[in-house]
Amino acid sequence: MTIIPFPARAARRYGGPVVTGAMSFEDEQDDGVLALAARLVAGDETALEEIYDRWSALVHTYALRALHDPHDAEEVTQQVFVAAWRSRHTLTPSPAALPAWLVGIARHKVADVRAARARDADRLAAVVSLTGARDDTLQAADDEVAERLVVRQAVEDLPDPRRTIVFLAFWEERSHAEIAEKVGLPLGTVKSHVRRGLMKLHQQLEGVRHESR
Amino acid sequence: MSHADPEQLAGLALDPTDGPADVREHAETCPECAGLVAAFTGVRRRAGADALVPPPAGLRAQVLAEARTGDTSPLSRPVTTEPASRRRVPLWLAGVAAALALLAGVGLGRIGTGTETPEAVEPPAGTVVAATALTALDSDAERGEASVVQTDDTFTIRVSASELGDEPGVHEVWLINVDGKRMISIGLLASGDEGEFAVPMDLIDQGYRIVDISVEPDDGDPTHSGVSLARGELA
Repeated sequence: MTIIPFPARAARRYGGPVVTGAMSFEDEQDDGVLALAARLVAGDETALEEIYDRWSALVHTYALRALHDPHDAEEVTQQVFVAAWRSRHTLTPSPAALPAWLVGIARHKVADVRAARARDADRLAAVVSLTGARDDTLQAADDEVAERLVVRQAVEDLPDPRRTIVFLAFWEERSHAEIAEKVGLPLGTVKSHVRRGLMKLHQQLEGVRHESR
Repeated sequence: MSHADPEQLAGLALDPTDGPADVREHAETCPECAGLVAAFTGVRRRAGADALVPPPAGLRAQVLAEARTGDTSPLSRPVTTEPASRRRVPLWLAGVAAALALLAGVGLGRIGTGTETPEAVEPPAGTVVAATALTALDSDAERGEASVVQTDDTFTIRVSASELGDEPGVHEVWLINVDGKRMISIGLLASGDEGEFAVPMDLIDQGYRIVDISVEPDDGDPTHSGVSLARGELA
């Protein structure tokens, strides 16, 4: 007897609607997330699809970094989105609510996997000391991972050219002047994009910090 | 002085020498603004993570299917919401439709054999157009087989299962679409492990090719229990 999610078939659809208008504004972006959250709460299955398309990489990467096991990471990812669907009534829509909420669920699922591993380990050798301390250290490391991934996701969500500019500035460590030359925009514009980009990343991160605990 | 413009504070976080002198001075003395600069600095420090790793492509369909079919906990079933009821009724109707199709198929078969010309008297053996071994989901353990027999324009799915276990409940047979999004009940294995289910031909053409046997508790819920005992894809 088996309890298996089904249908166990390969997806026929790849990627997803990650289209942000070139000139879209941050507020529109937030409105989009709010609307998506509201649709999920109302039980709209297509909202779950969109949410999966948008945040499954974040959840999966988090689980992968936390558990160091592709199979477990996949399992956790699946559990997170299924749990999100089943407990959708508990979601209070806000701009950061969706990623925050998903990361929060992922923390719990990762903890479950760790607990199961610990139980297995206990069966082999009854090592019970220091478990609490180890958990705290792990949790702190997980949180750091989660925050870095949320920042990464937030950059991906920025509308271009801001996304490219922030990426060049923070990931490739290019100077503002270099970026200005590369993207063909005035130095002042580049500077403004970098600063506003940083503010947006901060806003997203804060949202996740507040809502995922 | 009122607080500094956050954008200028963001500038300071990126380059402490950047920005007007009064802003810098203010940020040094105002705890709130200093806090914001520190927060921005913290965010900047967290930039640089490697690209996110998407899960395997196949997972999406699994998640959606599980969300859809496993949506049975009382908490997650708001009786008042439209989408839920819209989704559930057709599945229930599908069961009825399948049962009717089965009856119709049997009935037509009888009429057909009764009125056929002598040269067609041989049993309507039909042609096996597709078949599959059924296996457990968590292993390759054999669970029997299923085949599709075509007789004239009727498809009959013959299921011959084995070792389905003794989990209490009835065994229900489903066709799952290969798109991973749709499924339909075609009836119950009422007499043990064997069953024949007439299905409309275009179901198979539409991709309903995965035969699934579930165990269904007597809980009044017409949807798939989420517990699959055997499965195989007709080919």
